[in-house]
Amino acid sequence: MYPAPIENYVAPATVQEALKALGGQAAGEAHFIAGGQSLMQAIKSRLISPRTLIDLQHVAELKGISAEAGGVRIGAMTRYRSIAGEERLNGAYEALRDAASHVGDRQVRNRGTIGGSLCWNYLAACMPPTCIGLGASVELLDTKGEKRTLPAEEFLRGPLETARKENEILLAVVLPGAPARSGSAYKKWGLVTDALPVVGVCAFVQIGDDGRCRRARLAVGGLATGPRRSKAGEEALAGVAAKDAEAIAAAADRAAASTEVQADMWADASYRKALISTLAREVVSTAFARAQARRAA
Amino acid sequence: MNKTISITINGEAYQQSVPIRMLLVDFIRDVAGLTGTHVACTFEGVCGACTVHLDGEAVKSCLMLAVQADGHRITTVEGLAVDGELSILQKAFNDHHALQCGFCTSGILMNAAEFLKVNPRPTEAEIRSALVGNLCRCTGYAHIVDAIKEAAGRAG
Repeated sequence: MYPAPIENYVAPATVQEALKALGGQAAGEAHFIAGGQSLMQAIKSRLISPRTLIDLQHVAELKGISAEAGGVRIGAMTRYRSIAGEERLNGAYEALRDAASHVGDRQVRNRGTIGGSLCWNYLAACMPPTCIGLGASVELLDTKGEKRTLPAEEFLRGPLETARKENEILLAVVLPGAPARSGSAYKKWGLVTDALPVVGVCAFVQIGDDGRCRRARLAVGGLATGPRRSKAGEEALAGVAAKDAEAIAAAADRAAASTEVQADMWADASYRKALISTLAREVVSTAFARAQARRAA
Repeated sequence: MNKTISITINGEAYQQSVPIRMLLVDFIRDVAGLTGTHVACTFEGVCGACTVHLDGEAVKSCLMLAVQADGHRITTVEGLAVDGELSILQKAFNDHHALQCGFCTSGILMNAAEFLKVNPRPTEAEIRSALVGNLCRCTGYAHIVDAIKEAAGRAG
């Protein structure tokens, strides 16, 4: 299958050049291409037909993970392959490794990027709920040189929609400094191994000296409304002890019950809720275990 | 609409003006004439038959434009044998009857060749997980897994 004709292709070496290329085009005519693992499907099926493609593959400043005391910064062009192998994310931000190591297949993980996934915000994607669950922020720069940072949960809207303006580029995903005794996990369920998620759930917990949950974040993907936090689930986790399987299950049920879900060809509404509950139970338990392991260390 | 690009495939340089919309797999097959790289699903990037190495890493050549490979180094299945001698992995596929119709084989070889560089001592579970991106409708995968396992052993 051939894409529709594409008039221009540019491969800038810097963010400045990329924004210059974007600014030189009429609104909606140019499209950034990151790893292209979703975008090429969309171009081939002619869901989109960009006149100009701006390929970000050579923009070195958009690649790489820097972990510092103040937090973790992941360049928008960092590939799943790199995230999956990044041991500095263990514990607090291990959910990102869980998610990145099961996106598509290894060929896709060799090309696909975190920034591409967030900007595409496909309904069945792992990075969007994971970034929301971890309380990540995104950094954007526009063609006039204005930079802004906003929480992932504000950036990510309904499926295929984000808060990115036509004249902006996504620079990086930024995770806040990890509090002591914190852990996270992500898990998805799809029709076959490593398939697109019918439902994906990310949990982040921080525990106190008493082993009880001080702070929790829970986010769900695979929803027709776009990736969403489950505040009801988070509230139900407050004060819950890591070993209290019953309370964790109750919180997972609360998360499922309070999430608005759609019925589609992959799962009806009640099955989707059962998936949310089951996955939430698992990821919360794993997140607790990782938070406790960090306490012991 | 056209752009002149230079791509090195299996050590040979190809310089050519191509339509920007041309897929890398079509450049490999139609411009370079290397038809060992196959096309099956054609659009979704789910079958893995078109897997090649881009600068040494396994990628699906139907999910890239040829212009994106400008200045890069590609290896296709034709580049695995050295001086007419099959690679250890190819020989293992032969020995284990790891193909029937053979349509998926080139993509699986290219994926597995890079996988074994990254993980030279894989478990069976790791081999199976590495094959998620390649569809085979004949073998049931068992002989493919055996071949990869043996190639890992022989290479060490």
